[in-house]
Amino acid sequence: MQQFAYYPGCVAEFSSKELNATTKTLAPMLDIELLPLPAATCCGAGDIAEAKPNLYLTLNVRILSQAEEMGVDVLTICNVCTMNLRRANKMVKEDPRVLEQVNEELVKVGARPYEGTKEVTHLLWYLATEEGLSKLEAQGPRGLNGLKVAPYYGCQLLRPSSVMGFEDPDQPQSLERLIRALGGEVADYEAKSKCCGFPIILARQEVALKESHVALSQSRDAGADCMVTPCPLCHLAMDAYQRKAESLNGTEYNMPVLHLPQLIGLALGIETSVMQFKRHMVPTDNVLEIVGA
Amino acid sequence: MPSTRFDIFRYQPDVSDEYYRQEFSLEHTEDATLLDAILDLQNTQDPSLAVRYSCRSAICGSCACKTNGKTVLACTSQLESLKSEFGDDRLAVDPIGNFTPIKDLVVDMEPFWTKFKSVKPYLIPDGPPPEKERIVPKEAMQKIERESACILCAACYSECNSLAADPEFVGPAAFAWGYRFAGDERDGQRKERAKLYSGDHGVWDCTRCMYCNERCPKGVEPRDAIEKLGGIAFQEKVTRDKGARHAKAFLISMRTGGKLNESLLVPYTDPLGAPLDISFAAQMMAKGKAPSPIPHRIKKLKEVQGLIKNVKETI
Repeated sequence: MQQFAYYPGCVAEFSSKELNATTKTLAPMLDIELLPLPAATCCGAGDIAEAKPNLYLTLNVRILSQAEEMGVDVLTICNVCTMNLRRANKMVKEDPRVLEQVNEELVKVGARPYEGTKEVTHLLWYLATEEGLSKLEAQGPRGLNGLKVAPYYGCQLLRPSSVMGFEDPDQPQSLERLIRALGGEVADYEAKSKCCGFPIILARQEVALKESHVALSQSRDAGADCMVTPCPLCHLAMDAYQRKAESLNGTEYNMPVLHLPQLIGLALGIETSVMQFKRHMVPTDNVLEIVGA
Repeated sequence: MPSTRFDIFRYQPDVSDEYYRQEFSLEHTEDATLLDAILDLQNTQDPSLAVRYSCRSAICGSCACKTNGKTVLACTSQLESLKSEFGDDRLAVDPIGNFTPIKDLVVDMEPFWTKFKSVKPYLIPDGPPPEKERIVPKEAMQKIERESACILCAACYSECNSLAADPEFVGPAAFAWGYRFAGDERDGQRKERAKLYSGDHGVWDCTRCMYCNERCPKGVEPRDAIEKLGGIAFQEKVTRDKGARHAKAFLISMRTGGKLNESLLVPYTDPLGAPLDISFAAQMMAKGKAPSPIPHRIKKLKEVQGLIKNVKETI
């Protein structure tokens, strides 16, 4: 059993609970034990970094230190959390003076200093390796029955590659590998790694909805039955705000959007009630019908 | 001698208003760059093929273009490396994105320069000039070292996702220059710059797609500069923009519970617009996506509150 400090991120814990619930059901099936981080904060989602960069760094290193105390690496299910935690980790690992300054602050408030020994990985990265794929195969997946899936990476699991580094940000293939391994068909399209617009969806809604339009319309035109994303923020932009994007852009997408663990869960036969598709704004009935769930 | 096939975007407005593509094939040396190849094609196959270039040394920033969809400096991109990167013997070559082509690979840079000038990309010190030069400590210059390396090639601008959706967005290169001066300790316009950069189409329009950091050939990392300009806006208390309020809601959430309080985020970001969007809120609520207004409280919250109080910013 591979143990991880589980960092689901705020969106999966609150507004997108279906992602958290599915991940928790899926993990033991894949030999993963998720250990909670009860004192971990929000990663700041780029907003704290944009307001107070040093505070962002210190808060994220505090989370890494908690995982270090538990003796395990961090597993995430959100692009934005992954990028923020990895960026902070890189900043302190590359510069001992920065680590020292951050640790001084942590010690002052009674928090544990960080030694810089832990890594942060995303569930997609863990599974899209030979080892991960063999764990999926060991489950004898009933498969996706040829479901045509549009992979949607979003931004912050790919870029900046100097921080992320799992795969070529211009030619990512991890989602495609998983989709195929699960018996699905890939609907390829250019905008799979363009921005969903979510970071500015409240402050600049029109701009954000024009951004999500690009991937939604292209995935529709590629004949996808659904889209899959490794990020709950992208999911909110593509699913919760999809009707608004349709209205603004004068078109219809009718594109169901699945969280990555839900797609895997469908292939592995997890009960649909556990995966809470009813919480999606865009109905997923056609997806469940094709897969036979 | 290796050879490469090219599929090049063509636009010859003197001949036709239509864009078209043209195939070329070229033998070249092992170490030839994309710019070498374009100039060779111009010299040996089609003298009308237009490209903008000057120094051939990644200094002038003139020759940025797209190859297989990725913006690069033509003068520093070797053909054999590109082919190996894309796993393809054929390279598509296009003008940079988010611009209007004038002729073939040459684009109209005017909107870029207008936005560049709009950020006042020069030092504006307070008071009369000193008798002798201003001595700046090394550490102070190191803060703006990365931004000072910008060559205005527009590789960042070419793939900016915010710009693609909002052509009026000032954009990453201009803001890198904005921070280069806002972060310069000799400059006296920190607050004025914070106001100037925080308006419509300003720093809070950045969607954090990270393409600018990924594409910059000089390591400027414009997104980081935009982030620092946000930090300066906070230091100078220029936080009325909805984008700044969005960030403020995160800070309040952090202080009061440690996790994001999503129920605070919408009304705090847009207090005037949010109440008008009742039907969307009702739909979210019906799907269980409206979180509890009672904030979650993490363990050891006092540590976090202490950090919020103690940690000093050094932007």
